[in-house]
Amino acid sequence: MIVPSHILTKALDAALSTGADFADIFIEDTYSSQLSVLNSKPEQAIVGQLYGAGVRLFFGHEVVYVTTNDLSEDGLVKAALNAAQSRGAGTAKKAMPLMQVPFDSTHVYGEKPWEMNRERKLQWLNSVDQFSRARHSAVTQVESGLNEKFQRVQIANSRGLMAYDERAYSRLRMEVFVESNGVKESASEDEGHMGTSEIYDQISLKDLSEQAVDRAVMLTTAAFAPAGEMPVVIDNGFGGVIFHEASGHGLETTSVAKDASVFCGKLGQKIGHESVTAIDDGTIENGWGSLNIDDEGNKTKKTTLIENGVLRSYIVDEMGARQTGYETTGSGRRQSYKFAPASRMRNTYIAAGKDRFEDMIRDVDYGLYAKKMGGGSVNPGTGDYNFQVGEAYMIRNGRIEEPVKGACLIGRGIDTLGKITKVSNDLKLARGMCGSVSGSIPVAVGQPQILVSSLMVGGRAK
Amino acid sequence: MDSVKTNFEKIVAQARKDGAKVEMLISGGENLSIGYQKKKLDSFASTQSQMAGLRVILGSNQGYAYTENLSEESLQRTYREALNNAKTVQKGEKSEVPLQKPQTVPEMKNLYSPEEISMEKKMEMARLLEEKCLSMDSRVQAVPYSKFNETMSFKRILNSEGLDQEYKQNYFSGYAYALAKEGESSKMDGEGFFARSFKEIDLDEVVHEGVKKAISRLGAKKLPTGNYAVVISRDQFSMILQMIYSYFSAKEVHEGKSLFIGKLGHKVASEKFHLVDDPFESRGSAVRPFDDEGATSQKTVLFEKGVLRNYLTNLEFSQKMKLPHTSHARRSPASTQEITPTNLVVAMGSKSLSELLSSYPKVVYLTEFAGGLHAGFKDSTGDFSMPAEGFLYEGGKCVGPIDQFVMSGNVLDLLRDIEELGNEYNKPGSSMICPDVLVKSLSFAGA
Repeated sequence: MIVPSHILTKALDAALSTGADFADIFIEDTYSSQLSVLNSKPEQAIVGQLYGAGVRLFFGHEVVYVTTNDLSEDGLVKAALNAAQSRGAGTAKKAMPLMQVPFDSTHVYGEKPWEMNRERKLQWLNSVDQFSRARHSAVTQVESGLNEKFQRVQIANSRGLMAYDERAYSRLRMEVFVESNGVKESASEDEGHMGTSEIYDQISLKDLSEQAVDRAVMLTTAAFAPAGEMPVVIDNGFGGVIFHEASGHGLETTSVAKDASVFCGKLGQKIGHESVTAIDDGTIENGWGSLNIDDEGNKTKKTTLIENGVLRSYIVDEMGARQTGYETTGSGRRQSYKFAPASRMRNTYIAAGKDRFEDMIRDVDYGLYAKKMGGGSVNPGTGDYNFQVGEAYMIRNGRIEEPVKGACLIGRGIDTLGKITKVSNDLKLARGMCGSVSGSIPVAVGQPQILVSSLMVGGRAK
Repeated sequence: MDSVKTNFEKIVAQARKDGAKVEMLISGGENLSIGYQKKKLDSFASTQSQMAGLRVILGSNQGYAYTENLSEESLQRTYREALNNAKTVQKGEKSEVPLQKPQTVPEMKNLYSPEEISMEKKMEMARLLEEKCLSMDSRVQAVPYSKFNETMSFKRILNSEGLDQEYKQNYFSGYAYALAKEGESSKMDGEGFFARSFKEIDLDEVVHEGVKKAISRLGAKKLPTGNYAVVISRDQFSMILQMIYSYFSAKEVHEGKSLFIGKLGHKVASEKFHLVDDPFESRGSAVRPFDDEGATSQKTVLFEKGVLRNYLTNLEFSQKMKLPHTSHARRSPASTQEITPTNLVVAMGSKSLSELLSSYPKVVYLTEFAGGLHAGFKDSTGDFSMPAEGFLYEGGKCVGPIDQFVMSGNVLDLLRDIEELGNEYNKPGSSMICPDVLVKSLSFAGA
């Protein structure tokens, strides 16, 4: 509990004083810490606190949103009145009596970021440097960093809901720079979860560091990827960014309600190959994109978006539910109190299929195996998406051959969904940060290995 | 004395006892944002924020902490956290990080001139942004993104050398992105605006330009794979400048990450490429009287006839690397200090856009990079593969819109291969001020 319920009731009543038909208040107290090591020396340390509230009002389909850093009774009531008076002139209503939803976390946390000994954190970061340099003499520079966040939120609304949640996030990142035969390259890796940092005692930072070094060294001799359309096998884990960009954003009611999605009006229709089933799941224990409740106080859910190629559900927040008539899926999310919530993805993945990875490769005469994905983006209105490939190999005559660099994959959402012709049985999830209208939030992407029968590979023309 | 100053004086007294130097950066402001959807008010957001960030210096080590609670107790705790962080950092260097001494800062009058504009007028502007796009052309199906914003922001820096400086700015900004459809083809594009006074906003131009962009791209065809001469539009050349943005930083050079290492005084780019960093250029959005450690702004030549003339520095790296001090410290209260450009101004050439587009039998006129840099650029090597859209020109005539292709190359090669620059600039409001740029050959992956 951050703010007592009687203060929240007063603020909600103030919010409803000019005819709004719904109001909610999101209170946040977040501790963040970033620690980084450059070449075995602690390089940067910064900690800080976000402390504020967002008051949101609905007048039918209109949204009014006001923020404040003043969490006193006066501060919250004033912000709520500002919001109310900026818009309405209708009849005052009263909020329903607040009923506390018991705080029941699915997720297990250890020592909080401010409690854990800093030496322990620095040991993990230093070990990355040591493992990397021990792996290969070409390593010139190693950066590692630990980002931790502990967010406490309290949400109350005029329907009488009052809920509290704690979300811990920890992410360890590394970037290694190498130079070999005069060619410089770099590669990065990361680990983490929704939770606290003790996890790095269980994860092999040695394996992770070596993967980064091996990739960077490999890139120093790799040729540029070819250009043109070809079959592409996309690896599991972060490969799922293709679904995130190609389809996920277009399924958010934030786009659908504005008629700004190629998936508008397609519920119940076949929009993808029958081998594709896609899930958006907020309930995975300590999952990077998980929650207990969403940022509108609704219990999060596991939502089947696409089942055997048929569109089953959108990703729906409170306003999206009002605008489209679909039930909320517990997907209202935001970076912080500075943003009004919007419908956003959580842990989004293509479900495991029945195919075997080896068979997929064997089926390709000439194509690309995209092993490690980079960032991407999408235009939800047209479905045009793109993303970078950090590590890729040519496939020739059913075998994985030489590595290539500089590849970029581009396509159009619905078109690509229809071309996913094989889905393997080996599902993995990976962490990402997703930026959209309500800020940057942690989401997981995932998939088993998939075969896309034809995709535009942006490499270099000969 | 105001409460901020009083609280800071107490922190300075404590820092002296701790043998530390301290700086406090406070920034914040107010923002109003109004958006319409389907001719109805969709969102109305009024946000206020303030945050204090403390930087504590112990010799060559710096620690940071920030808070949104500006009470004395909270600031004292934040100071202790920053001090603790400075003790964690172990640079192992001898030189002490300097702080800016008090100085006279020239006033910049045009930055802050608040106006009393009625709420009705602002709402009307937001409403018309969407409505005019919808009514301009029947192919406009929706305007998924349109916003009118009014912003007031301030920045104040105090340090234990006795410096206490502040500046404020206010401006109006906004955008409208129209989704146009014709047959199976759909395209979304738009235009934005940035104005220091309300009357400067030319709504009709924003709508007209934005809708024209979306409509003109309908029916785009794929571009055959190959090498083409390319004109990167004045609106999109900023993406190329973003690629080299961090390379100018003396800190990045010192850490071995910049591709401009060892290139000072050397010819890196085409003879026709001149680039200046100008914090006073009023067309740009990055105007400021002093940088984020309080040093008075100054103009810096970066490229002159393709020769790299300067790295950008703050006090620390100017001292450490014995380079001229250019006043380019940048940080927010919640970040550590970096060195970044302000307004980057590319000098104009003499050619009109149509002359540039007639330079070769086939020219790709590139008007849109579809993804951000994170989706196609690797700064450690300068290699890029950027999804793009545009128009194909043959013999100086537009053949039609093209999409679904990727432009690849290396940014240093691109700078070297600049052949000509146009004689018109992009619209005000970006921190990158660019003409159209002709590059003789780049690789395009398409159909």
